[in-house]
Amino acid sequence: MSVDNTAFQEFRASIDKLGNELPDDGLTGEERVRRAKNTFMQKLDSGMAVDLETCIHCGMCAEACHYFEATQDEKYAPVYKVEPLRRFYRRELSPMRWLFRPFTRDLTAEDLEKWQELVYEGCTGCGRCDMMCPMGINLSTLINVMREGLASAGLVPAELRALQTEQRDEATVFGVGADQLRELVERMGQQGIDVPLDKSQCDVVVLTTAIEILLFSDALAATAKILNQLGANWTLLSKGFEATNLGLISGDEITQRKATARIVEQATGCGAKIVILPETGHAYQALRWEGANEVDEALPFEVLAISEFIAREYDAGRLKLKASANGRSVTYHDPCRLGRHGGVIGQPRQLLEALGLDFREADSNGRENYCCGGGCGEYVINRSAPLRQKAFEIKKREFDATDADEVVTSCANCRVNLMIGASNAGWQKPVESLVGKVAASLAD
Amino acid sequence: MTLLDFARGPALQWSLIILVFGVLWRITGSMLIMAKKDLSKPRRNTAVRDGFATIARRSLPEHQFEKKIRFQHYTGYAWHIALFISVLFFGPHILFFESVLGFGWPNLPNSIILVTGAIALAILIALLIRRTSHPVLRLISNADDYISIIVVIVPIITGILAFAHLGARYETLLAIHLLSVEALFVWFPFGKLIHTALTFPSRFQAGSTFGRRGVKA
Repeated sequence: MSVDNTAFQEFRASIDKLGNELPDDGLTGEERVRRAKNTFMQKLDSGMAVDLETCIHCGMCAEACHYFEATQDEKYAPVYKVEPLRRFYRRELSPMRWLFRPFTRDLTAEDLEKWQELVYEGCTGCGRCDMMCPMGINLSTLINVMREGLASAGLVPAELRALQTEQRDEATVFGVGADQLRELVERMGQQGIDVPLDKSQCDVVVLTTAIEILLFSDALAATAKILNQLGANWTLLSKGFEATNLGLISGDEITQRKATARIVEQATGCGAKIVILPETGHAYQALRWEGANEVDEALPFEVLAISEFIAREYDAGRLKLKASANGRSVTYHDPCRLGRHGGVIGQPRQLLEALGLDFREADSNGRENYCCGGGCGEYVINRSAPLRQKAFEIKKREFDATDADEVVTSCANCRVNLMIGASNAGWQKPVESLVGKVAASLAD
Repeated sequence: MTLLDFARGPALQWSLIILVFGVLWRITGSMLIMAKKDLSKPRRNTAVRDGFATIARRSLPEHQFEKKIRFQHYTGYAWHIALFISVLFFGPHILFFESVLGFGWPNLPNSIILVTGAIALAILIALLIRRTSHPVLRLISNADDYISIIVVIVPIITGILAFAHLGARYETLLAIHLLSVEALFVWFPFGKLIHTALTFPSRFQAGSTFGRRGVKA
């Protein structure tokens, strides 16, 4: 399956314009610091405290970071990205604060502005450093608290803030709402793909994303074909279809909670037993692992990534696939928040092998995989484009080393970012959707 | 009261009191901060097993990362092993432990202890030099990083000097060695040496957090 190049170029152009018209929030430096500190105080817990107390400043985490690897610039050492949080902890919360306080510099507005670059542009929260740390420190969680602190201080980069406020206030992303979904469903219907919309009762609710609607409708069509083949009682919900969670990405908790609550309310309303997430890594983290915590109760349905759902159906013998690879070789890019953060690592490989493809593992893979370089909203931040391109070179090198014909992934954001990197580098390897591959090989 | 009497008496007692209460205070203080219960449904209910597995696993070399951290990894192994041998298997140290614990254990020959002490010292000096010259380490280092290395280096140096009877009367050298160890005890709860105790809960929570998602950490 291929992506419409015109749509892809239009999408890239729309990213360039993001945030251009955002008004200044008018916050003083003092107010920014106060807000960031309040958030740090609310978010720090015993687990993070133990992590902050345990760090020995060995610097090994730097060796895990794709941005450090790509630039060798020491400022990208993950431990340095949480320095303001560490200072706050030592002054305000540590059991030794009475001793540390006089020797630990207080946070300033300048610190927050400086760390905005490191936390949003210099980190995708991929969590590779979590796997490296000899002390077991969960650095990505600490960096996420940094994002939350900066978000409350009004320091989300303009492009990301434009999207986050749009989702919070309008419940749309990239201008995509219920109308655009309906249009796509109608177009698919005309192509003979039945996509149920707004059924009042059903077993399975499928989510999609604005990016799928704008760019990767192939993935949504593939999901529909698979569910129809299975004879599932499923639907999309026009008031609760968007799996993208700009709150999680930007660090704005109000947006995260609203986006999550909308899905939970709608899916619960139609009696869903399963909610299937589209190929979007962060959406899996937002609903599968953080959803219940956002709505303060266990979710009344099972949450599955589409790749996880398909693998389960295949395992149970309900989904038949035909091995029709024609000798094509593929490698797989693990989306960080689906794989390392989410635990969906074996299932995509199982499916690729079931399709009879010549599967070739890249040097870094699974829990140790390198990020695509544009995760966690980074690919919409225009200022970081040169840095992302350097990180893309790591992926390109690893993909080329496999000599595979295609790269397959299960995240639309990774796919966009890899395609942007490939386009800039004049690199020709196709970046395909996993669910698309499966749908193309459904047995009759 | 001689310097040695002071080192063996009140200095030792107070440094141990500060060590024990300081460590307990710091560990319990950080663990008692409130944490929200995770309401997500775990992929598997093996949090305890995953936690202990990560405690063990993070002590072992890892495939993908190993090639980049070989120096830190193996100097880490060598330094900790050399330190433990020097502290736990030197005859006079064992006599001291026996006086406190009521039981002792066989010692290693002095020549081996001298070698392990020298190895530990050499590695610490190398790590100190690296900290001042490596761009990442220079950026992230603070006073604690340097003080913590120095308070560990000094007892090794004074121990070697006392062992070799170099520079002063043996009693004076022994007193200085004891006082340097006591300085380490006093610093221990306040600096990063606390990792000795907190590494285990930190690794455990990494293992159980990722484990509930089905990821080997």
